[in-house]
Amino acid sequence: MIACLNIPGFPLRAALEARPSLALRPAALAPVEGEEPLIGAVTAAAEAAGVRPGMRLGEALATCPSLVLVEQDPARAEQAWEEILRRLEDVGFAVEPAEPGCVYFETSGIERLYGGLERALQRALAAVGTAWDARVGAATRRFAALAAASVARPGQALVVSDERADEFLAPLPLGLVPLEPSRQQELRELGVRRLGELAGLPGAAVAERLGPDGRRAWSLARGGGKRRPRGRRPPAELVEALGFPEAIDNELTLRRALGALVETLLARPERAGRFARKLALTARLVGGGSWRRTVTLRDPTVEPARLRAALGPKLAELPAPVVELRLELVELTESTGRQLELVRPEGSELVERLHDGLRQVRAATGTGSVCTVVEVAPWSRIPEARALLVPRDE
Amino acid sequence: MTSEAVPRARAARPAGRVNEPRPALVEARFGGEPTHVNRQAVALVREEWRVVDRWWTEEPVSRRYFDVVLESGQNAVVFHDDERGRWFTQKA
Repeated sequence: MIACLNIPGFPLRAALEARPSLALRPAALAPVEGEEPLIGAVTAAAEAAGVRPGMRLGEALATCPSLVLVEQDPARAEQAWEEILRRLEDVGFAVEPAEPGCVYFETSGIERLYGGLERALQRALAAVGTAWDARVGAATRRFAALAAASVARPGQALVVSDERADEFLAPLPLGLVPLEPSRQQELRELGVRRLGELAGLPGAAVAERLGPDGRRAWSLARGGGKRRPRGRRPPAELVEALGFPEAIDNELTLRRALGALVETLLARPERAGRFARKLALTARLVGGGSWRRTVTLRDPTVEPARLRAALGPKLAELPAPVVELRLELVELTESTGRQLELVRPEGSELVERLHDGLRQVRAATGTGSVCTVVEVAPWSRIPEARALLVPRDE
Repeated sequence: MTSEAVPRARAARPAGRVNEPRPALVEARFGGEPTHVNRQAVALVREEWRVVDRWWTEEPVSRRYFDVVLESGQNAVVFHDDERGRWFTQKA
């Protein structure tokens, strides 16, 4: 079975950890600076007052004048999410995080350890804790598991058997499938309001009317693919932080602070001679929010100058003065060094560079993003039967 | 114990198809020749051919392909799927 553990409105819950009194009042996640003024997740009290996630800020404030806007806190959300993932891994689940607040895992390898599927799912919920109102769904298909987790009550584990999957999905609202609001509206105007109604339409007609996204939504409404979750590789735990006695907004000072962080981080013995492939730069802002940027290096390196050159320009994007700067080594290379050869076989350098490039792409975009084209029937008269795209992770 | 030390069992992952047909908006004459592809007028039909295959299976293929030049100068290959009654574009 594929299980999906869901924590609705996770970024808001994480931001509210610092201001727990707001959890019972109408509150919403403030829009991201520089983007369209749409509010994020909302509390139950705000929802009761008629405020919906994704509403325009002006409309939300007009609907509920007492609405409190909570600053985005991506650093706290990232940290809280990582703690949850580690707790799940500690009890034996190989997790594949989809986004903060939503994670998939395979239960078949661990059911016997806990005495059955239900108990394994309860164990996962217990590992996350009651404070997050997590819920979990399990099904043979990924989307059905997500749908089950979305309709389950906090603390509930909902299992949908393969035979019941269609029946279970049919009455659920269309909003569960990832489709642009305008497309959802178009479908509603055509009288399609439930997943079952979308699944009942001919696939080709949906594709013609709504394009590839519509076709994908149609396929999900029919249960979606059966791709099994793959356990992630836990990130490296190498972090250095620098707190400032007063808020800093001078770029030169921030660059010096970054230089010091790079030097300290590279000197840590836990790095064990490995090269940095992916780094994250986080700042705690003076207003109480936070800011985070990740950088995947084209070539793994431990040269301080190159790391400073890659991270330095990001400091110009800071939206407010900083009270703490934090640098994290998210991913390191596996090897500790390279054995040089006297005479290298012809083409080996090119192959090595190609492999390195592919590893960079994987580090930046996640597993399954690199594929190989395998010719299966090059003589076929049907063009799409000639070759296959096979995911390649090594 | 590090994660590298424990070989993980690999779950089977699905392979995708290369050059999958994509739905196209095509207007055609009575005889079946396309006049507009994705709202662009067809300037010239360069070639036309049929593909009939897998008729012995439950998923038979019966397509009428057109290699066309659009008014913008762009080349496109479209086909009418006789089984599904729909138009698609594809690199032939």
